Amino acid sequence: MPLLRPEEQTKVRDWFAELGRPVGLLVGLGPEETPRAGSGDVDFGAEMVRVCEELADLGEGVTCRVEEEPAGFLRFPAVSIRPEGRDVGVRYDGLPWGYELGSLVGAIIEAGREESTLHPDSLAALEQIDRDVTLDVFVTPT
Amino acid sequence: MLLAFRCALASERVAATAIEANEFPQLSQELGVYAVPRIVVDGEPRWDGAVPEPEFLRRILAA
Repeated sequence: MPLLRPEEQTKVRDWFAELGRPVGLLVGLGPEETPRAGSGDVDFGAEMVRVCEELADLGEGVTCRVEEEPAGFLRFPAVSIRPEGRDVGVRYDGLPWGYELGSLVGAIIEAGREESTLHPDSLAALEQIDRDVTLDVFVTPT
Repeated sequence: MLLAFRCALASERVAATAIEANEFPQLSQELGVYAVPRIVVDGEPRWDGAVPEPEFLRRILAA
């Protein structure tokens, strides 16, 4: 079964057609933690590859590559979202399904922009940061 | 989640990872993830729930 309904595919295709720069998806596969009970009999790695390959099929500027335990990946499966193929520290650990698929699509669109969509005040605030900051956001597929 | 990604894309100093809590229950338990989104800054749980962009930036800078 396709990941997205035809009308959703059309919408995502339109968004991806507007990307100002290419975006690479690097899928990392490796040893997986046993998921919480109730997660079902899902091959998370295979599903991650399917999700990312299907998204890459929706835009010429989006490419997908799969590697076993790539450098910098802490958990598997995961996908690194890379503007122009550069690792800028944007990653999704685990399978982005349900509502969270929108987060991955949104990350690809944002990575494909030349200019940030953050408010200028936010950009100014980020410029004040003089140390490395790691943000981990825990989500569930609601 | 997108806000964290936007920050990472806009700043070389910031890295952002979404972590699917159900797939990584051990880590989720260690960090006391009972509500989502739970935002962890530099390994320290900071807050739960979505906040507006200015408040998100303020909290990151204050962490």
